[in-house]
Amino acid sequence: MLRRLLPIVLTAILGFVLLSGLDFQAPAQRTLKDYFYQEGVEETGSINLVSSIYLGYRAFDTLGETLVLFLAVSGIVSLQGDEK
Amino acid sequence: MKDSEIVDIISRKLTPFILLFGFYLISYGHLSPGGGFQGGVVLASGVILLSLSRGVDSAMRSFPLTRMRRTDIFTFALILAIGIGGILLGKNFLGNFLPLGKAGEVPSATFIFFLNLLIGLKVGAGMSLICFYLLRED
Repeated sequence: MLRRLLPIVLTAILGFVLLSGLDFQAPAQRTLKDYFYQEGVEETGSINLVSSIYLGYRAFDTLGETLVLFLAVSGIVSLQGDEK
Repeated sequence: MKDSEIVDIISRKLTPFILLFGFYLISYGHLSPGGGFQGGVVLASGVILLSLSRGVDSAMRSFPLTRMRRTDIFTFALILAIGIGGILLGKNFLGNFLPLGKAGEVPSATFIFFLNLLIGLKVGAGMSLICFYLLRED
């Protein structure tokens, strides 16, 4: 009986801890969007705001994306073998 | 793997234009929709068209396997080097240390242009390599 109750109690405690940190009232802050819209062109020199974000402000994220593709290629090479 | 004369000729004539469009998407990534990832995938689609219509071995003669692998590795190393260069010149990792230029003109946002070029070449080489390794018959 205790063994069956323990996961339920643990899940309830975990849920309480996670949910107690949430604020259900205020909407999320939108200052970052306005900042990109107003300052993005001047700070990065690119009129395409998408690329000014993904190569200017979030270039580290783009580096990770290229690393993901690199890992996919190396995984396929290791699976297919490389006799040639 | 030569099925039809029409497919053979059309794919050979179409591939340079697909590659040109890919490089256009990459080099205008800071001005218009497009950029490194999209342009790189368009580059790879040209290679994939060639290898689907004429066979992988024929495509590998135009786009040698070792060179594609070297492109894939060296462009990634160059992106890392640009990032570390940002640190050495007093900015953050991958911080913009090249002149910005006048926004909206073709030679502007040099840093974004070079990163787009490297990422485009890397994605094109990577996608073509995936296609080569999966379609190879031996």
